[in-house]
Amino acid sequence: MSAGPYNYSYIFKYIIIGDMGVGKSCLLHQFTEKKFMSDCPHTIGVEFGTRIIEVAGKKIKLQIWDTAGQERFRAVTRSYYRGAAGALMVYDITRRSTYNHLSSWLTDTRNLTNPNTVIFLIGNKCDLEGQRDVTYEEAKQFADENGLMFVEASAKTGQNVEEAFLETARKIYQSIQDGRLDLYAADSGVQHKPSQPGRNTLTNDQQSNKDNCAC
Amino acid sequence: MDDVLTETVPTDDLKRFEKVYHEQLYKNDVTPKAQFEYAWCLVRSKYPADIKKGIVLLQELYKSHDEGQRDYLYYLAIGNARIKEYSKALSYVRAFLSIEPGNQQVISLESTIKKKMDKEGLVGMAMAGGVVLAVGALVGLGMAVASKKS
Repeated sequence: MSAGPYNYSYIFKYIIIGDMGVGKSCLLHQFTEKKFMSDCPHTIGVEFGTRIIEVAGKKIKLQIWDTAGQERFRAVTRSYYRGAAGALMVYDITRRSTYNHLSSWLTDTRNLTNPNTVIFLIGNKCDLEGQRDVTYEEAKQFADENGLMFVEASAKTGQNVEEAFLETARKIYQSIQDGRLDLYAADSGVQHKPSQPGRNTLTNDQQSNKDNCAC
Repeated sequence: MDDVLTETVPTDDLKRFEKVYHEQLYKNDVTPKAQFEYAWCLVRSKYPADIKKGIVLLQELYKSHDEGQRDYLYYLAIGNARIKEYSKALSYVRAFLSIEPGNQQVISLESTIKKKMDKEGLVGMAMAGGVVLAVGALVGLGMAVASKKS
């Protein structure tokens, strides 16, 4: 990356949450490195990753906070929820207990984020069909009842991993376009980088037109 | 919204965990959990004095509590990097990697620290350059004034 203006128009903040061992860090690694980490130790506190993606022709930098699933970190990791534009809530389709805990994760998310935060439910490890412990249908129903987006994915094969991260970004971008998400609210989880002269984004066009008139 | 070396703890959170720690300290019964949570917030403060305090608490834990060793090493590395004690930070990273060589989270922390060192090396040189320029300008001005007088 060269110095000078940013090569992206927005920053979106994401968090990844869910029980320990469901594959949160592996999903992040698959998304940022396009590789599967076969030997993945427990995350300490929080891990951080970024990737620049494109939505509707706009470059968006995702800043992703991957939280540790172990209970002893939970109290402090809550402070990372604040100002998240997207929350990926992960369970393991081969371990029912991780699915049963979703309502507790959802409560935390709703309490600690803003009403526009996009929550995406991911049933990870869908490559392990033989060990399935949670059906697609019941998870889909849970997602629908709670207004969440949902896919089953595999950090191992990469199936649906891109989709989950990108769909979340599209939904956030849509909220900005619709004017539902206030870019200037401290906890919106979105930063605008109006840094490329002549390539202003929609939200900025009016402002720059005004500037032009004044000259 | 930055990275593990620049993000800061919300003040409310720092205060909340500080309160729990102090209550336990008052009763002379501090649990490793309360001490770690408070220390974890302190090393993410924007004030170096807080970070240094966090480092002391983590060092105590590292000596006295076997269970969370990897957590303490990781946050000792982060705390030291944040107050620019880079060689100390890297020694904690190395200690961690000698126990868990392939740990991606710590390998990634190591590269973040090294990038920050590189960046500050350049900034340091630029500042030194700025001082040289300023001194040069003053000398030049002095000479110009002197030559006008003569």
